Amino acid sequence: MQLTSLNLNYAAIAPESIVSVAAVVIMLVDAFSKKGARKINAGITLVSLVLALIAVFGLNSAGRGSYFSGMIVVDPIRVFFSVTILIVSIAVTLLASQFLRDEALPPGEFFALILFATAGMLLLAGAGDLVTVFLGLEIASITTYVMAGYRRYDTRASESSLKYFLLGSFATAFLLYGMSLVYGATATTNLTAINQAIAEGKVQFPALLMIGAALMLVGFGFKIASAPFHLWTPDVYEGAPTIVTGFMGTAPKVAVFAAFLHTFAEGFNAGGPLGSQLHHVWVTAVAIIAALTMTIGNIVALSQKNIKRMLAYSSIAHAGYALVGFVTSEAAPVGFYLLVYSLMSVGAFAVIQLLARAGDQKVEAADYAGIGFQTPALSFSLAIFLFSLAGIPPTAGFMSKFFIFKSAWDGAPTLRWLVVVAVINSIISVYYYLYPIVVMFFRPLAPGFVKPRVSTMTAVALALALIGTLYLGILPNRVMSSIGRSGTANTALVQPASK
Amino acid sequence: MEQFAQIQVSHLFFLAFASLAVVAAFNVILQRNPIYSAIGLIVVMCSLAGLFLTLSAEFIAAIQIIVYAGAIMVLFVFVIMLLNIREEDAKADRQKYLKFLAVPLFLALIGVVMAALKTIGNPAASSNVPGTVENVAEGMFTNYLLPFEATSVLILMAIVGSMFLARRESAEDTNEIETALNAANQPTAVEESSEEEVHA
Repeated sequence: MQLTSLNLNYAAIAPESIVSVAAVVIMLVDAFSKKGARKINAGITLVSLVLALIAVFGLNSAGRGSYFSGMIVVDPIRVFFSVTILIVSIAVTLLASQFLRDEALPPGEFFALILFATAGMLLLAGAGDLVTVFLGLEIASITTYVMAGYRRYDTRASESSLKYFLLGSFATAFLLYGMSLVYGATATTNLTAINQAIAEGKVQFPALLMIGAALMLVGFGFKIASAPFHLWTPDVYEGAPTIVTGFMGTAPKVAVFAAFLHTFAEGFNAGGPLGSQLHHVWVTAVAIIAALTMTIGNIVALSQKNIKRMLAYSSIAHAGYALVGFVTSEAAPVGFYLLVYSLMSVGAFAVIQLLARAGDQKVEAADYAGIGFQTPALSFSLAIFLFSLAGIPPTAGFMSKFFIFKSAWDGAPTLRWLVVVAVINSIISVYYYLYPIVVMFFRPLAPGFVKPRVSTMTAVALALALIGTLYLGILPNRVMSSIGRSGTANTALVQPASK
Repeated sequence: MEQFAQIQVSHLFFLAFASLAVVAAFNVILQRNPIYSAIGLIVVMCSLAGLFLTLSAEFIAAIQIIVYAGAIMVLFVFVIMLLNIREEDAKADRQKYLKFLAVPLFLALIGVVMAALKTIGNPAASSNVPGTVENVAEGMFTNYLLPFEATSVLILMAIVGSMFLARRESAEDTNEIETALNAANQPTAVEESSEEEVHA
């Protein structure tokens, strides 16, 4: 075996390496410092995440292609999705500092877990082989199981963690079984090689490939919380600390979507009679799943009084909208949608984290009655995030939905019914997004209201999410066009983050 | 003639291990006492190791015995003994209708596997056997170098996470958390940290 044929290139795994090393450093710092080295750990986390962000932009210097014998790829999907993941991680790290101080939780492990999760998600977003897809997914999932139960004294958090663990493992088993069947049919785990094997008709037994793809679809469907595999979502999101909910509702989903695109929209998008048959089957299945996910998410969200459960169902619905983009196998609208969704969702959860107070005590919509003009900065930010989630212009939520619906309408004429369903669903969703705003601004103030305190780092994270949401709503074209292009055009991506 | 005899012997071994695995697997699901099920599972694992041997994958056979029959099954038996589960409770009413789903699905799976076996042929006939020590070692440090390293990140992270969740909480910690929660939710609390605060 020639070493050169492995195509080792350390620049291609630089972001993952930086983040993993920083996680180990944090554990050492935590072990050798006196209790609660929160600020140092937060600082190391932030610096390493920013360095990883720079390394992601530097990925283009490695050149487009696959490295480490096809285990990891450098392409526009990886670059864009990695940027989104890192932005979410940076925002969550900024928010975590106040959360950990207010609740006296051990800081070292939390930051280490954020970094490990980020490393796993970056690996998942860049995976070019089913082996790395599986490993990245497991690193990202197991960290989020632990983070969901981070308040160990809280039975809600433990319930959330255990449920997430059991159902997540179940989903992983589906995915793994599907992967083994695909391997059995094509005799390779490399996504490009799978694509070639399908295109050239070198598949041993096509039914195995079909069943394998179906099981993988179930596994991915679980991880992105799409119907009918969404039942774990509300309980898990409600029980976990709000900031963790914000994290696990966005970043892991973004990473799984990247792997989903690499596997289905690229790997299972092959030519040849078998390839077109498989493509037709999975696109139809994804369209049905998308329609179900949007409808169930939105209709159940209508009756939710707990704001975290409401946002959990809303995140289910948003996974459905993002799946609409899959019918054309175009990565750009899906990537843009997920970036926007992550910004507004993390922003909304950040405001709720503050309003719910330490220990998540106030999470019913009624708790927010009349607070609109008491804490104007927080409630106006929440209103903007909710408007954006509902897709009302000029927020980014509108533009992202517009791009994704337009791409599906133009690109898949046979599936236009899906776009109609999606538009009807966005109209339904306006009701439950506006409800908390109405409660905040037009109801009398609930007694015993205390203004939440906002630390500087929290304020920075909120401002980042807010500016991103508005900037992408008004000037989306630079970012949008940077996904479609390969090469060095990706510097435009840094705009919403650095502003 | 010699070759013919060889094939016959390996077929015999295959049949012996395969039938042992199937019988033991039935034993796993039919026993009411969980300990007997666990022992049945050990037999399944060992006969699978025998099957790997007939495919000349001796490394995987050894790993199968060490990891599954050794480590994981011991864990199973420990958990069963610690939890003191004697007999499975007969709570079958919720799963009644699943019976009607399970049998056709099982038959469908058997059908697919039979059909697949007919087309695929014998994988052991290929010269490149992946399960030997040399091949596993070569793969681990060449093609699978990156996954190998990622696995170490996974295991490290799992240790950190499980240590965190399983750590016993001292009364001091609980008090500290309560004080912090109260302080954070009071508007006039004394600032114990020097971090700048802005009122929203």
